[in-house]
Amino acid sequence: MDIQKKRRHLLARTGLGGAMCALVSLSAMADDKLPDIGGESYKWAVDVYYENDTRFRGKDNTGNSVGLSKFRNTLQVEADRPLGDGWEFHGVLRGSFDGVYRMNDDEYGKHAGGAITLDSTTPGGTISSPHGSGPVNKAVVDGLGQPNNVFGFNSTNPSLPGYNPNSGLQVLGQRWHDVEGGVAFGVPVQPCDYDKRGCTDFGGYGDKKRSELESPEFNSRLDFIREAYVKKTFTLDDQRSIFLKVGKQQVVWGRTDLFRVLDVINPVDFSRNNIYDELQDIRIPMWMVQAEYRMGGSETMQERNLQIVWNFDQFRPNNLGQCGTANVILDAGCFFRGMKNLWDNGGTVSSFANVGPDTWLATDFGPGQIGLDQVHLPGWKLKNTQLGVKYEGVTQDGLSFSLNALTYRSQLPSLRGAKRSTNGFNGEYRDYWPYLISFDMYFPRVNLIGGSMDFEWEAAQAAVRVEAAFTDGEEFANTSKPQLYSKNNVFRAVVGIDRPTFIPFINARRTTLISGQLFYQHIFDHDYERGPLGPVGMPDWEDNVIGTLLVKAFLKNDRLSPQIIVAHDFRAQSTVMAPSVDWLLSDNLKFTIGANLKVSSGNDRWKFDDCRGCNPWPPFTAGPNYPGDTAQAFSRGLGGLEPLGRFRAGPIGAAWAEDEIFATLRYKF
Amino acid sequence: MNRIIAAALLAAGLAGPALAATEADVVSTFQPYKSGFPTFPGLTPGVVINKDNVDKFKDALDAGMYMVVKSGWYEIKVGETIDFPNPKGYVEATKRNLNKTKLGAKVGEIEGFAGGRPFPEEPSMSDPRAGEKLAWNFKYGTNWGDNAAIHPFYWKYRNMQTGQLERTLKFNFFFLNMKHRTDHEPMPEVTPNAANLYRGIYAQVLEPQDLKNTQLLIQKYDDDTKFDDAYLYLGFQRRVRRLAAGQVTDAFLGSDLMIEDFEGYESRVSDMKWTYKGTKNILMPYYKHNEQKLSDEFKEDDGYKYVSFTGQGECFPDIKWQLRKVYVVESEPVNSNHPVGKRVMHFDAQVFGASRTLVYDRKGELWKTWTIGKAHPDFHLPVNKGTGVALDDSFSMVDVQAKHCTTGQFKGKVDPSLSPANLFQVQYMRGGN
Repeated sequence: MDIQKKRRHLLARTGLGGAMCALVSLSAMADDKLPDIGGESYKWAVDVYYENDTRFRGKDNTGNSVGLSKFRNTLQVEADRPLGDGWEFHGVLRGSFDGVYRMNDDEYGKHAGGAITLDSTTPGGTISSPHGSGPVNKAVVDGLGQPNNVFGFNSTNPSLPGYNPNSGLQVLGQRWHDVEGGVAFGVPVQPCDYDKRGCTDFGGYGDKKRSELESPEFNSRLDFIREAYVKKTFTLDDQRSIFLKVGKQQVVWGRTDLFRVLDVINPVDFSRNNIYDELQDIRIPMWMVQAEYRMGGSETMQERNLQIVWNFDQFRPNNLGQCGTANVILDAGCFFRGMKNLWDNGGTVSSFANVGPDTWLATDFGPGQIGLDQVHLPGWKLKNTQLGVKYEGVTQDGLSFSLNALTYRSQLPSLRGAKRSTNGFNGEYRDYWPYLISFDMYFPRVNLIGGSMDFEWEAAQAAVRVEAAFTDGEEFANTSKPQLYSKNNVFRAVVGIDRPTFIPFINARRTTLISGQLFYQHIFDHDYERGPLGPVGMPDWEDNVIGTLLVKAFLKNDRLSPQIIVAHDFRAQSTVMAPSVDWLLSDNLKFTIGANLKVSSGNDRWKFDDCRGCNPWPPFTAGPNYPGDTAQAFSRGLGGLEPLGRFRAGPIGAAWAEDEIFATLRYKF
Repeated sequence: MNRIIAAALLAAGLAGPALAATEADVVSTFQPYKSGFPTFPGLTPGVVINKDNVDKFKDALDAGMYMVVKSGWYEIKVGETIDFPNPKGYVEATKRNLNKTKLGAKVGEIEGFAGGRPFPEEPSMSDPRAGEKLAWNFKYGTNWGDNAAIHPFYWKYRNMQTGQLERTLKFNFFFLNMKHRTDHEPMPEVTPNAANLYRGIYAQVLEPQDLKNTQLLIQKYDDDTKFDDAYLYLGFQRRVRRLAAGQVTDAFLGSDLMIEDFEGYESRVSDMKWTYKGTKNILMPYYKHNEQKLSDEFKEDDGYKYVSFTGQGECFPDIKWQLRKVYVVESEPVNSNHPVGKRVMHFDAQVFGASRTLVYDRKGELWKTWTIGKAHPDFHLPVNKGTGVALDDSFSMVDVQAKHCTTGQFKGKVDPSLSPANLFQVQYMRGGN
């Protein structure tokens, strides 16, 4: 909410154009490409890159052929300059334009979405009703003797407030699963300048216009400045020094690929390519001070270093992707936008009201009853800044290790439920309704301690990497709690092994890199119990393991490099395979083609309590299928795939219907 | 029977110098041409050896260069033989520590070494461990002295058949001896040195785009039986990765070199079985840099110019070669999974540079021919004058099977200020961009 949203489409275009002019100017200045590190010449060293990333998707869960999913053109400038007295400047500017929002506008642009229907479940089968025409509505509940009920919403009259028509919508989660008798509601999917329903700032996404989606770097946080910092090493003696780096930067902790156990200082932009881009390209640089006391060796240690990182930038969370764009990790952005629309304007929720045995009817909720109301993005205050300390060393025997501690704000949102709401049946307003699915979004403070190490495993001719962290303060969905969340400590660890191996049929003279990793996560005090109608508690797995395998070959003096990455989520039973080939046509031109393919073994294991049976407005919501005290709110465990199945499916499972092929061209001027 | 005697000597730890080295040996090892430069019939400065006349000079060439010239890939221009110096402190340390060094019971074990050339005596064919002693002389040689930098260092990948230039890499390389320092403070050791490291090599890639900001750090232990530690900082990952042992025998960044090939041979003495094969006078790539045909391809502010390349695919340095005394040593990997079958190395008797090496594959066929051109320090950059360090100045690694080569053009500086100890710490890499 602290982020200003005053840009115009033209500004974005002007910004991109201006940056391009600046790049050309800088390039022209770069008469000598590199600084003489040992000399005194203070010249700019500038590299300018262009990249086109084009991607196509096949059919999603609905059978719809998605087509073009990305046509992103990026211009990036990397500039370095010694500043004198040992100081050096490093900057990276990046501007992009993704044409997909115009070229495939019925998927991602102003024509996306359409009219939808929502299901009712009855013993006789499924009945579909258009959004805005749920069988449970104001008139029906009036007829049940509740004249003060506030069900129903405005889906027909654009001149009245809260207009929420049946257009520009998709059914929540339709891209990756059927409703299957669970809850669902309409989600607006057009850019926010074409459809503002459910648009709000969830932390750098959620309220973006088409121009802002096309050129996401040109925003009030000046994201086109990807990096801009100065650094200097203050030499104390031959081995001891103090290293200082100040400015917008990435600080990388840990030794793990793909997973972020210790590498959590910078938030990550998953909207670029879900979890599949190099972290360097998707970490969101922050304004930070990084200071290191490099103590050199001692009588017992070959190296000792103490690092302090102060992230004094205004907080930003991970960018999970705005609903209606190609990369919405866990489909979370759609859940948030749909829930925000439900709160602001009301909406039809499928198979919700348990009005008779085995009968759940689609219900037209009014505004301010259920959904997502406020987003509490931490503003800039000293106490909201983030601080990390790392001790990194190398022992006499060559074991490299680190000990890390960090206090930071969770980069993932927590939805705290049971907030203020109006009872749909009688119009009663309360600030607190236990077990009600009315949420605010928070970003709680998290404290982390952890460590990492790597060593050589001589017998296996392999290098081993280990990383682990324990966190305190993370929040998880938890339907056994009145506020529908709980704070839980978490332990995460990764073991990785890198082994270059001669595989003669690939290349007899050059090793093929085989790199395997196992990621383990344990949630302490995990809640999971069998309710009368199904599981209740936390959808996240108490213990889960994800394995990754990279096989990367090097041919033609490393100018041709095929690779495959396979990742398997053991509990979600979902797998992704990402084959690709890098082809260096010259030192300046690189071409990459590849695919991203997922497989999954059904989705029953992802279904979880959706709190339809929570009875938050007793006795009205005590349905005939819900056992127990009709005056008490608690979850009976009735569930489906929405909304919590996404946490069990994980980022691989929730994107199982997003198979993609791609071609990327990168050129250095 | 000889084997039994040798084994008995080894077991008893008696395989040190059979005869004590003398002051005369020290003079001889550093001034092998005191009584005259070697000669070969018909081989005089100005002669050009090509495929038509190479048979006349076959015995003045190693087998690899003979094949290269005979194939018409390269013509060798002959220059006059000159003395190459060694650093003064290194020579003094050799005298001071004469006969203090003994081989241990196993290959890779050494006792009493305190600096200088450990085994200055002339090798003997009757000494079963002569090859190993020469390997130690090489390991503790003066390659780049106590500290130096190649700043910058251009590598080119070429298709030898078509001449196509595939890649150009620009590096900075830095070297630091942590122990056995003889000429630059601190001497004899950089302290503290808890891990007892002998040497560090740090490299950073400046170009091209896909490798930019890649950094390599190699830490060699003084205990030769310990594996080196090697770390790679990948610019696109921004993380330091420990290299597995196998990666030192892998093509480095897609070149025709493996890390093990650096400086002639970069792995441990204990990784090889060393066999002394004799002493010869052959043409070696030793020259005065300033008197060669130089390239103005890369511009330097100080006007420095690099050695140019010529021959088939421009895979060979355009330099003069001189007839020099060399020790021929075969090194055979102990590890049967090593991609190399054996190396035939030619150590220059005066400066112990491994300037000509033939690399054979596991089938016993010639795989690569490896040339490191050495420049006299007094005919190079002013900073190198008087240092006594024979400078690596050009290299050519030719994969004769794949018909592919990697060439190197150096701007070497024996300048201690470029190689402070903190450059060789793992953490330094993390301070990169």
